[in-house]
Amino acid sequence: MMPMNHLRRRDVLLGSGAAVLTGAAPRQVQAAATVLRVSNRANPDGLDPATGIAGSDHVALYPIYATLVEWDYATLKARPGIAEEWSFPDPLTMVLKLRSGVLFHDGTPCDAAAVKFNLERCVNEPRSSVKGDVSSIASVETRGTDQVVVHLKLPNTALPLALSDRSGMMISPKALASPNGVVRNPVGAGPWKFVSWQDNARIVLARNESYFKPGFPRIDNLEFTIIPELNTGLRSVIAGENDIVFRVEPPQKVVIDRAKNLTLVMGPTLYVHQFFLNLSHPPFDNLKLRQALNYAIDREAFNKATMMGLAEPTNTLLPKSHWAHDPSLDAAYPYDPAQARRLMAEAGVGNGFEFNVLGYPDQTAQQRQEVLIEQLGKVGIRMKFTRASVGDSSAMYFGPEKRGDALLAAWTGRPDPSSSYSQNFAKEGFYNTGHVQLVPEMPEALAAAQSSVDLDQRRETFRRVQKLVVDNALFCPLVFDPEIDAHGPRVKNYRPNLLGKPKFDEVELA
Amino acid sequence: MTALLSWLRRDLRGAISLGFLAALTLLAVLAPLIAPYSPTAQSVAEMLAEPSGAHWLGTDDLGRDVLSRLLHAIGASLYASVLAVAVGAAIGIPIGFVSGFVGGWFDEAISRVIDTLLSFPGIVLAVGVTGALGIGLTNGMIAVGIVFSPTLARLARAQTLVIKHELYVDAARCFGASPWRIIRRHIMPNAIQPVIVQLTLLLAMGLLAEASLSFLGLGVQPPTPSWGAMLARAYSYMEIAPEQMYAPGLAILFTALAFNALGESLRIALDPTMRRR
Amino acid sequence: MMGKRVRLALRRAAQVIPVLILATLVVFLLLHLVPGDPAVTLAGENATEEHIAEIRHFYGFDQPLAVQYLHWLANAAQGDLSHSLISSESVRTSILQHFPATLLIVGLAMLLSIAVGVPLGILAATHQGGPIDTAVTSLASLGVALPNFWLAMILVGWFALQLNLLPATGAAALTEDPVSALRHAILPAVALSAGGIAEVVRQLRSALLEVLSSQFVRTLYAKGLPPRLILWKHVLRNVGVTLLTVLGILFNRLLGATVVVEAVFAIPGMGSLIVQAAIAKDFPVVQGVVFAMVLVVILTNLLIDVLYSMLDPRVSV
Repeated sequence: MMPMNHLRRRDVLLGSGAAVLTGAAPRQVQAAATVLRVSNRANPDGLDPATGIAGSDHVALYPIYATLVEWDYATLKARPGIAEEWSFPDPLTMVLKLRSGVLFHDGTPCDAAAVKFNLERCVNEPRSSVKGDVSSIASVETRGTDQVVVHLKLPNTALPLALSDRSGMMISPKALASPNGVVRNPVGAGPWKFVSWQDNARIVLARNESYFKPGFPRIDNLEFTIIPELNTGLRSVIAGENDIVFRVEPPQKVVIDRAKNLTLVMGPTLYVHQFFLNLSHPPFDNLKLRQALNYAIDREAFNKATMMGLAEPTNTLLPKSHWAHDPSLDAAYPYDPAQARRLMAEAGVGNGFEFNVLGYPDQTAQQRQEVLIEQLGKVGIRMKFTRASVGDSSAMYFGPEKRGDALLAAWTGRPDPSSSYSQNFAKEGFYNTGHVQLVPEMPEALAAAQSSVDLDQRRETFRRVQKLVVDNALFCPLVFDPEIDAHGPRVKNYRPNLLGKPKFDEVELA
Repeated sequence: MTALLSWLRRDLRGAISLGFLAALTLLAVLAPLIAPYSPTAQSVAEMLAEPSGAHWLGTDDLGRDVLSRLLHAIGASLYASVLAVAVGAAIGIPIGFVSGFVGGWFDEAISRVIDTLLSFPGIVLAVGVTGALGIGLTNGMIAVGIVFSPTLARLARAQTLVIKHELYVDAARCFGASPWRIIRRHIMPNAIQPVIVQLTLLLAMGLLAEASLSFLGLGVQPPTPSWGAMLARAYSYMEIAPEQMYAPGLAILFTALAFNALGESLRIALDPTMRRR
Repeated sequence: MMGKRVRLALRRAAQVIPVLILATLVVFLLLHLVPGDPAVTLAGENATEEHIAEIRHFYGFDQPLAVQYLHWLANAAQGDLSHSLISSESVRTSILQHFPATLLIVGLAMLLSIAVGVPLGILAATHQGGPIDTAVTSLASLGVALPNFWLAMILVGWFALQLNLLPATGAAALTEDPVSALRHAILPAVALSAGGIAEVVRQLRSALLEVLSSQFVRTLYAKGLPPRLILWKHVLRNVGVTLLTVLGILFNRLLGATVVVEAVFAIPGMGSLIVQAAIAKDFPVVQGVVFAMVLVVILTNLLIDVLYSMLDPRVSV
């Protein structure tokens, strides 16, 4: 799977790394220790993958925790991770075959027993934030030390890719048993070991010498500096204080282009800016008003004003480069203010309507809000904003309080599209905050999307789900965020991925 | 009126600052009429344009006219300053008067609370409280007002302590005037002058606090323009359009200067010993 | 004599405790009289009502306010400032990690304020009414009215981005890399010191003017002593006392002003800590940061009071 020359070269380097441990030639080798300094926007909300919440945590979690399944960077098709292969002997059984000899950072084995322990924890732990991902699991059993049999309650072909996310991040059971847990002392089997974490300042990781992929990682130490303002983060890379900054805002592309020492890296992502709508009460229990909202937004102008035209306008959750994208829906909601007014008149609110919306307080979020306020104002749709932090506004909107009629935020995407669609549009889906099902065909369509195995077949089932969502205007997507990363001259081999959550295993330093 | 005129003639600095603030208030009121564009009208075609005949101060990141936004932001800034000072005065001044007048253990306790609050780094408390109350200009300025109140309470108390031993207050007490009447009729009118000076100086602090909170995203909320929020946005685009950061900053600077200068002038004008000099 | 000073110091120290308790109570009430339930935020996605209740109970949010406060206070007295609701980090650890960066820029800003402010203040006072005095006092007025975060932006624009002389962002630990730490601290400290210089100039000028117009100094002039000698020997002795007072005010003010300046420079200090915590409603952190800042301010004032009594024997408590 990996080019052989890499293996050989890295074997030599690994040998010299071992010399550090034995103390043979510490000085010279330590001087050569390579450090990748990453400007990271968010302080993690904890480094326990099964209890954390924020989508921004992954960048710090991936280096520490190896996942059972990995994905292809460009297409997000499943690839082996700790699990070498997997199969569905029948629709209600999944068998994972594990790599042998995988060790956690504390030296304990990451074997079938450890995997069983982790999966059961995801299901049973009261604070588990990944219950949705593993809700189809009925029970887990081990077969020898390298096979895990997962029994399912219902067919779920999305499970392998779900195990490339939080629920597939294997934690050392021994570390979990310690009184402090792993929230601040994470122990995984990933390419780097945890060293230290200062809140809102810095996370330091050091090479895992016994990482199961020979030759990786290519850098000794990984350091995240937490800089909430992306512009400031970019400035730190220009000044050479950091090596890489990821997911900067589109206007900063001009700055990257102008800075001679920076390399621009771009790509599409699944991260979609959208209005989540509460479908259980007015105004958005009314199909015509949901459609009016969708017609009243000029996504192209929004893209130009807030994304420098670099984003991809959309009516769905899947970008053009995704395997399940349906081109026939691209023109579902063109900018048509006249149509929006007509629909509002049919709904009996010809002069427009007002709704309460929650949003974030940072500068770029405010900029997006300002553009939308202006666009919607033209057809008489008025937004009353309440601004709060990401966690706070999510809690107010999705929590028991159910505050507001809509949330202007983003869907960060999931490796498997069926997770995205069921969590947003199933009646019990956490992000369907009204918890109503306005589309009678939806449960059956979602189930079909989860039980098909063959890729072409899955594409067809997703076509149906997407069309139901678009026809009923169950949400109001805007654009896919472009991935815009910048790194300094020392960084080699950095590749973005479609999920938009960078991994650094392959990165080298010149 | 003539006293005012003669004061203005004698005190050029005071006259200029008062004139500036009066003009600013007028501009705030007239902003919808005189601003060349709507402060929220966006134009994708003209983002971050340099100053020109059409846009004297250029346009911002959404193609909005900076001059129009600057004019429309005056209202929010003045409102914020006045609100913070009003909250501070409403809490601090009565407490100061009563504490100073009543004296004894009550005064001792109040003084202790005042000293405690004075040892808080002001903006830190305002940031903490704004986060808790919910993000928004009014909440932010109430928090700033709370921070201002101990300064005013201490001043009002100190004035009361001096005045309550004056002969005319003793006389009133002898004639059986109620404490409230003494505070209202004798202490307040005589103690209020230094307080007014302090209020004027606090207006400048309120303005700077508003700008700081808005810069941090905790103050004025979009699409309402605010000088502090304009600076925050300008900072985001500093590499592309560095000239954007000057106009709002100068607006804050000059307004704060005017409040301070007016305060100093009032101090001289209202202080009998200074006037004689 | 020594015994008296020690007694004074002890007495002052004893007064610190009720002030601290009062301060924490005020902050606690301000933060907790606010609607909203942090347990919901903490419960996160897919949270059930039972799960939320569990969390509420776990953190003690279901207890009466008085109990919550006394619990916090009892722990604080033992040095335990509770944990962040968001990241579970010990608040004390967070504060210990973030305070050095803040103290470095505040300390540097105080040094700058004094180094620039004292000569300017003396210059202004000794040339009262002249053009030098006018120039200096005008500068001071400017310094008071200048929004320090705006000055910070301008400094970043000119010295970091255009001239590339100094780093635009971040901080380094003084203990690990002193040169880098100072280079990072210069621009933030300059931005902070504008207000500090103005404060020093104004206070010092008015204090000196008072001394210069006093009976005592007038007598010295009448005796025919050279003005320079009077200034150096008799007047400047008073400068120390004034400076001590100013230092206390300055420290408090700069500690507050650093909040916004840290945001401009992305310095991981106390300001960044409290802003992030306040927006996220991470109450234990907000409470802890305010507590730590008040503690430092009060201890500084205590120290100043004691020094004050040494410099000026007339002061007694």
